[in-house]
Amino acid sequence: MSRAEHPVHLVAGLVVWMLWFVVLYGLLSVGCAVAPPGPGQGIWNWINASLWLISLVVVVGLALAGWWCWRAAIVSDESHARFMTRVSAAIYGLSAAATLAVALPVLFYPPCV
Amino acid sequence: MTEPSRQDRQELHRRFEAVWSNWPGLGTLAAVNHTSIGLRFMVTGVFFFLVGGVLAMLARTQLALPEQDILSPEIYNQVFTMHGTVMMFLFAIPVLEGLALYMIPKLIGARDLVFPRISSLGYYCYLFGGLIILSSLFLGMAPDSGWFMYTPLSSAEYAPGPGSDFWLLGITFVEISAMAAGIELTVSILRSRAPGMSLRHMPIFCWYILAMALMIVFGFPPLILASVLLELERAAGIPFFAVGGGGDPILWQHLFWLFGHPEVYIIFLPAAAIVSTLIPVFSQRPIIGYRWLVLAIILTGFISFGLWVHHMFTVGIPKLAQAFFSVASMIVAIPTAIQVFAWLATLWTGRVVFRLPMLWIFGFLFIFVCGGLTGVMLALVPFNWQVHDTHFVVAHLHYVVVGGMLFPLIAGFYYWLPHFSGRMPTPVLGAWGFWLTFLGFNATFLLMHLTGLLGMPRRVYTYEAGLGWDWLNLLSSVGGFVMAAGIAMVLLDVVLHFRFGRPAGRNPWNADTLEWATGTPPTSYNFASLPDLPTRHPLWESPQLMDSIPEGRHRLTSIDHGRRETFGTDAVTGRLKEVIHLPSNSWWPLLAACSLAVVCVSLLIRMYPLALVGLAGAAVFLLRWSWENGAHPGAAPFTGPETDDPPLHSRTCDGPGLWGMWVTMMANGTLFLSLIFGWLYSWTAAPEWQVPADSHVSIGLLLASGALLTVVTLGYDRLVTALCRGRAEGLFGRLAGLLVLAVAHWLLLLLAVLGSDLDVTAYAHDGLILVMLLYLLFHSSLATVLLGLQLTRVRLGYIGTELPYEPVVLRPFWLYLLAVFWISLGIFFWLPLAWVGGS
Repeated sequence: MSRAEHPVHLVAGLVVWMLWFVVLYGLLSVGCAVAPPGPGQGIWNWINASLWLISLVVVVGLALAGWWCWRAAIVSDESHARFMTRVSAAIYGLSAAATLAVALPVLFYPPCV
Repeated sequence: MTEPSRQDRQELHRRFEAVWSNWPGLGTLAAVNHTSIGLRFMVTGVFFFLVGGVLAMLARTQLALPEQDILSPEIYNQVFTMHGTVMMFLFAIPVLEGLALYMIPKLIGARDLVFPRISSLGYYCYLFGGLIILSSLFLGMAPDSGWFMYTPLSSAEYAPGPGSDFWLLGITFVEISAMAAGIELTVSILRSRAPGMSLRHMPIFCWYILAMALMIVFGFPPLILASVLLELERAAGIPFFAVGGGGDPILWQHLFWLFGHPEVYIIFLPAAAIVSTLIPVFSQRPIIGYRWLVLAIILTGFISFGLWVHHMFTVGIPKLAQAFFSVASMIVAIPTAIQVFAWLATLWTGRVVFRLPMLWIFGFLFIFVCGGLTGVMLALVPFNWQVHDTHFVVAHLHYVVVGGMLFPLIAGFYYWLPHFSGRMPTPVLGAWGFWLTFLGFNATFLLMHLTGLLGMPRRVYTYEAGLGWDWLNLLSSVGGFVMAAGIAMVLLDVVLHFRFGRPAGRNPWNADTLEWATGTPPTSYNFASLPDLPTRHPLWESPQLMDSIPEGRHRLTSIDHGRRETFGTDAVTGRLKEVIHLPSNSWWPLLAACSLAVVCVSLLIRMYPLALVGLAGAAVFLLRWSWENGAHPGAAPFTGPETDDPPLHSRTCDGPGLWGMWVTMMANGTLFLSLIFGWLYSWTAAPEWQVPADSHVSIGLLLASGALLTVVTLGYDRLVTALCRGRAEGLFGRLAGLLVLAVAHWLLLLLAVLGSDLDVTAYAHDGLILVMLLYLLFHSSLATVLLGLQLTRVRLGYIGTELPYEPVVLRPFWLYLLAVFWISLGIFFWLPLAWVGGS
């Protein structure tokens, strides 16, 4: 079994998505409780910047993982391996898309109002 | 191979029945067989559905006309609270669990679930918990704060009677059954599939149930914790949710909806499993997009945990946070849409056979899609603010849960009716039942959207005339009664079919899945022989299985040893690994559940000494139950060097018990994380959070206890590793040494708890620390007792190099305890130092 076939990839992308989601909501809540930026700063403040940076890193990481699984799917000639790697690649890809979509409001809303 | 004669087949059946059948008479209460337990879940669930339906009719009668006083406000509050509670907790989840418990082994080619006694315990916890909650209605003291029990409405100040206690204790009791089913189904699907059934060969139904089971494992613990905390607040005055003591009522909402939103998908996924099973059968072709469906199931399972705050858009959360949950709530529609398109494509390309179950499937498609669309509307924050707490939300909720759960469930009941009874339903009566239900439902709830948009709030016992709600409410009530007539007709059809339905024969719908090879009605052991199944459609590809299985032409036909057995296989590839030996009929689950019922009732009536007696009884029964395992004479005694290939699971280091322990620890870990969430949330968000200056817990004692725990756990880990490598020198002595250290660790922890100076009734801060300490103490006590029992089992010869299994199963528990111990110290005592410089 190649590493890309491992069943952990069926859930790893979404586990990362969930952890990211917890960090997103947690950082926002704790940040607003501990060091809230002034409302006049709009989206240009440390909370939005941190959230966007973290989100971009996660999106790139997930996209790369998806590409890696997809490559394994292309070269695989065994049906079980193809099944596992294709589904895993799609999970990574959709996790990246979900991360990007949920993070989009960071570009438009100030954090603590 | 020569063809077995009819006599041989009957003889094989007789020998299997002798081992697998339930005991006669009252002995049937000791049944653990998944077919019996699954049916009991479903029948009990239908009973509670009827109770919930009667409550709904009472509510609709009251609301039919303005300014009525058929029900008083107090009774109306009890009626709508109990309607929601009964339907969600006592009908929807258990009935689907029952269906899953009934179906899964039959679909994966197994003879039973891997932990049959846990199924039985789960059923009795459900039954007793449900009856306790229901009794409150007849005592006139039912909960009246709504089915999600928001604090402070459900707190002692505003709900001083026992109603909330009935809910909190009863629902927690019932949740034992959900957790049991979640763990059992997860491990059974992963580890007991027929040889050759890799993940990609699993029937799609199993993917759905696997996701549902794991969602239960991760979704229910937050509610269990919340219920425990609220009951502690009500009974002992610890202010977890009271602002004055540093608590926060919004914490309840977070914990409830952390459970509550995944819950919607916990009941939708098994219903979608039914749809995905029936549509290919009635289209007479494999489902289109199997891989896409798997993808959608996994996506739903995860993303549904990221939506809970959309129930809380009006509580004052920052707009950016609301936007995260708004987007996530819209995203979850995508996997649902994938499924709908897969179903439509299958119907489009198949040769559809319009039989009775398909009527309910079409009803589902129509209603559920509408409910999904209003769900997307509600995901939009401004719209959500407008209709929050109005009848629009009630209408949306019913479109989702009735359309998304009840309609597929009835489709499934009709589809599998011949499997349960051996007889076919009647098309005419069944069609009447469908159309009355469908039209009645839409009359009730389609109009209710308008009532909500016109501003009618939910949970009001009456309303003034002339607000524009009169005719809508009247028509909704008429629709409700039409729907009730439809359900009554379905029930009549089901009852009559036992007498007048024509015999079903074998595989009456020409289905592809293996449950139809177990007979109509099924045998107690499902399969006399276990075939290899490297296919998703066994009965379409190999129809001869219908004969070859009962004739014993496949594997594992030996039954003279008197053990119940099924195959254990690799979780991914389906490669044959071991023979799982299963327990037979047992009274222990019933006795344990009775003891837990005593605990529940005595907590309700505040007789705490009796609760302790019940708790001790439950512990004794559960430990006695655990004693009959592995090489115990009542299970699979060790008779000397064994050369079986594959081996019995209790002779290996990787049986289903180990998987069960890990899944249980995942659930347990979720409970622990919920507690940490409560702690961190209270620190950052509770409006009057206070850190008392004079509270004290001995960190020195905790550190000493933790050091000993570390030594015990690492020592135990090394011992188990050596055992699995065939080395057991000085096993008894080493285990005894570890037990001594474990007792010392436990004593130090006990001293730390008893010696702590916490003002728990004044500060939520101290209350949360106490809960954490008690959590550690409970786990430490259990781990130490289990270690002591293992020492005895080593002496009796139940554990050794040939029998390494039981220490392997216990190892994750010790590792878990070690992890939560140090994490607790770090988060509850050291992390706050960074914020306040010491507490």
